[in-house]
Amino acid sequence: MSSVSQEEAETKKTSELSLRLHEYYKGKIEVELKCPVSSFQDFSVWYTPGVAKPSLAIADDADLSYEYTNRGNLIAILSDGSRVLGLGKVGPYAALPVMEGKSLLYKYLGGVDAYPIVVGTETAEELVRTALYLSPSFGGINLEDIEAPKCFSVLEQLRKDSTIPVWHDDQQGTATVTIAALKNALNLTSRKLKESKVALVGAGAASVATARLLFLSGLPKESLIVCDSHGILHPEREDLDKLQLRNPWKYSLAIETNGERKKGGIKEALEGADICISAAAPGPGVIKPDWVSKMSKMSIVFALANPVPEIWPREAKNAGAATVATGRSDFPNQVNNSLVFPAVFRGALDVRARSITDEMCLAAADSLASYAEVRGLTDTHILPTMDEWELYTYEAAAVGTKAIAQNLARRTKSESELRDMAYRKISSARNKVKVLMKEGLIPNVPG
Amino acid sequence: MIGKLSKQEVILRRAKESDAEKILDLLLRLKRLNEEFDPLYKVAEDASTVGIKYVRDAINSDDCLVVVAQHGTKIVGVIKVDFRKRIFYEPRSDAHIVDLYVMPEYRRNKYGQKLIDYVMKEAKDHGGIVTVEFPSANKISTDFYEKLGFRPILNTYVRHPVE
Repeated sequence: MSSVSQEEAETKKTSELSLRLHEYYKGKIEVELKCPVSSFQDFSVWYTPGVAKPSLAIADDADLSYEYTNRGNLIAILSDGSRVLGLGKVGPYAALPVMEGKSLLYKYLGGVDAYPIVVGTETAEELVRTALYLSPSFGGINLEDIEAPKCFSVLEQLRKDSTIPVWHDDQQGTATVTIAALKNALNLTSRKLKESKVALVGAGAASVATARLLFLSGLPKESLIVCDSHGILHPEREDLDKLQLRNPWKYSLAIETNGERKKGGIKEALEGADICISAAAPGPGVIKPDWVSKMSKMSIVFALANPVPEIWPREAKNAGAATVATGRSDFPNQVNNSLVFPAVFRGALDVRARSITDEMCLAAADSLASYAEVRGLTDTHILPTMDEWELYTYEAAAVGTKAIAQNLARRTKSESELRDMAYRKISSARNKVKVLMKEGLIPNVPG
Repeated sequence: MIGKLSKQEVILRRAKESDAEKILDLLLRLKRLNEEFDPLYKVAEDASTVGIKYVRDAINSDDCLVVVAQHGTKIVGVIKVDFRKRIFYEPRSDAHIVDLYVMPEYRRNKYGQKLIDYVMKEAKDHGGIVTVEFPSANKISTDFYEKLGFRPILNTYVRHPVE
């Protein structure tokens, strides 16, 4: 118990520091110049009259906006604040510090300029329209913290209608890093996905996308069991008609999965399963050790809820799990979106992609899994960590290469060219921060 | 995905009294779905008690037609039709579909359409028309029936009486 209260004290301290520093720095991002200004004469080049030339060229060919502006390195982080972190529906203003934080990660980890756009609307139709209206300004759009099932229809519609890549991190980011971790966990326990039984606990944004990527990776639909807050999804559940109206994505899972026709709750879902992937309610105690012990031998347990996993890693291990992952950085195997989204957009932007497909997500997952694998897999090392920053260059190049192969790229580059581009952009972003800090232009933390 | 049995093995037949409880289960699912469309479709607490009589009466009545879709031993779909007289209009008879329900996993396999086709044949023998009722807000039903060639003919409006 003492470690829990210690942890609470630590969290409180970090929260207070965060509030103080947000006030001190007045946010975390601003606009900086990337071209030289030696004299006011330069303005005639960067602005009028000189700027008319690139402007007219773009008027003839909109794709030249990637050549003559920063559009090709700029994405919008679009949110309505309807489901922010674990805080729930806090609205667009309260979402802003989170979106600025995301922007910081995009720049520092991926060299991507990501601008927060929080909007005062809540309907799926208006979010779609807003994203489409914004697309001339940006090379991509990251949807963030939008509640389910609205996020599914917004992403689905934009994947059809948008000419720039649209990504919903809570769905695709989480699903991609989960698949990467799972690949290595399967490898460690000598399993094949297509012969495994998987239990997904939780049926929100992350789980629905994870299911899709699992199927694409070869898991037969009937080998998956999905459990939501009302229990196991199956075709005869009483609430299915209502789901068809309200959440057709979850409805499809109920119809297509669970070949064994299991009924019940998490306990029953885990019985005999090889793999448990839980993105449900924060624990502990959501998943009981007894239930893990009824899984198959050498089971794989991902308890991804934050801040407290559905089951503590040690409990899961003691109950027989061979490989355990959580969402937390203080345990081994952190399944963290930040290993994915900066690289996915780095790769998508560098080939000027039109879309981010599930296959591109799997390319990212493969790259991430391989990066950990070549450095040696153990049950406490199935994923790399953010400080191994070169992983982003490999992952970005893999994503870009897949986009080219799928004919979704506006320009073609070799994988090594893409890696070099990513390396330059990411190291430049990191070095700029270093220089600005050294020069005192980013002031030191006070106190 | 429909279990181990193939699609062809779903058969359509007239309902028997022994089907009543299974049919009621399906109808209650339909009525509970209707709760989504209007507060005035709130399912009554004694719905299953009164419902079983409703189903039995319909199965035994010459003025009704109840057809089920059966898969193995399971009843997976049902249609209930009232034959109504049209006193002032021609044609004189109307096969009016009151309830149509197909279990979720059997949807998108045209069993709904086949149940309606069954009714269509009977209606043709009666020389009448086929009509259907469902909540106005049920967009899925609207799309389904329009795809099958139905068109709106009658509006039903509602208000509470003056207190």
